[in-house]
Amino acid sequence: MNDGHMGPRKFWRQELVRLKYHNPAVSMTVERSTVQHDSATMSIHFTSENAPQTSGSATSAPNATSSTSTDKAPSNAAPTERVETIDMKFKSSNEILKEFMQVTRAMPVEATAEEREVMRSLEEQRIRGERDSKLSLEVRQKKKREEAILAQAKGEVAVAAQ
Amino acid sequence: MAAPRYCPSCLSLASQTTTTLFRASTPRISPFTPPPQSLLQQPNQLRAASQNALKYRRKDVPASQKRKKARSTFLVPDLRNAIQFSLVEAMRYLRASEVGRPPTSSKYELHLRLRTPKNGAVVRNRLRLPHPVKTDLRICVIAPSDSPQGLAAKAAGAVIVGEEEIFLAIKEGRVEFDRCLCHTDSLALLQKANLGRILGPKGLMPSVKTNTVVKDVGASVREMAGASEYRERFGVVRMAIGQLGFSAEEMQRNIRAFVESVKRDMQGISDQTAKDLHEVVLSSTNGPGLSLNGSFSSGEDGGVGARDVSTL
Repeated sequence: MNDGHMGPRKFWRQELVRLKYHNPAVSMTVERSTVQHDSATMSIHFTSENAPQTSGSATSAPNATSSTSTDKAPSNAAPTERVETIDMKFKSSNEILKEFMQVTRAMPVEATAEEREVMRSLEEQRIRGERDSKLSLEVRQKKKREEAILAQAKGEVAVAAQ
Repeated sequence: MAAPRYCPSCLSLASQTTTTLFRASTPRISPFTPPPQSLLQQPNQLRAASQNALKYRRKDVPASQKRKKARSTFLVPDLRNAIQFSLVEAMRYLRASEVGRPPTSSKYELHLRLRTPKNGAVVRNRLRLPHPVKTDLRICVIAPSDSPQGLAAKAAGAVIVGEEEIFLAIKEGRVEFDRCLCHTDSLALLQKANLGRILGPKGLMPSVKTNTVVKDVGASVREMAGASEYRERFGVVRMAIGQLGFSAEEMQRNIRAFVESVKRDMQGISDQTAKDLHEVVLSSTNGPGLSLNGSFSSGEDGGVGARDVSTL
């Protein structure tokens, strides 16, 4: 379905967002066309090692700019030394990410202790919320049933009183 | 003692003594005789029977008086619980959420939350940003096309100039402009043409209040082409403040200009209504809203500087 474009699309919406956050200096562009049977290729342009580094980025030495497109978009940053392409069609977004990390030799960003705390507390909140919503759903439904019975009874009384 | 009797219709305890309140025709009840059946068949008389029941009867307020007190100011969130960001941090998040989109389609927008009473005057003005967001604005001018004003308007860059042709086009539904100006002499014709129903909801109807009825059309067209308009709706002033490609310094200048302009407007109307700036939120077309804490960049960004945030 969708001729294998679901993986690339999910990659763009989910993984590329995270990549861009951790590597803001790396230019990332996406080109889309309406033709389904077109290819879906990601081209990663590497510049020479002397190019200005982005501090705090997760990519290692080669300063990469990646463009996910059906046709290659030239980058207007430092001149490209070499280009690697990844074919994304019919692959899930996780597979695409794995291949990408292999090609660029990217280092995954570990969550810091504070971020782990935040994630854990959010997860607990979510579990608590699910439990609470189940309970309150029961209460609400019970109330609704009682009101329905009452309305019915009132309706019957009104009919009988006539 | 007789067994306690309940009024069958209101289920209140009908006490023995108060039956003496009724007319003499009803037989007096002594504690030792069971009540006659006839009494039980008169529920309406027994309704207001018990003194006790009267004392604790729920007072039914008539529906017209039953009303919750409405708030007079808009609610503002408590900023002590808010997570706030520096400008560079916020831009980093917003750029990430807009990754891959065409660079001219996504814009940054700023929302200023004001602490203001609900029924007061609203802030409304036009501003020229240091780095304009939208540079291609189609302006329509209502003036006779051969008059000097009409020609000046055309020279200044108005897209459509004229009178009757414009009215006809609008009536047909072809509204091909983003702003509309009117010369003072053509105002009467405009009112007669009854275009308020079409242009009014769009905010395009020229009026004296919005400074869109002018004498010097050429200068107004030039001024309008670079200016963005803002307006307070429900206690919030929102305006587009940058394109995605803007750098952090450009954004800072735009934000400063905008906030200062709004503050000046608020001071101008402060004698009638008390207005106060409460919160500044930066957002983008496809991104979340992030509350700004006023600083340009924080030190703990992993070294991501303002320059890094500028690449698309």
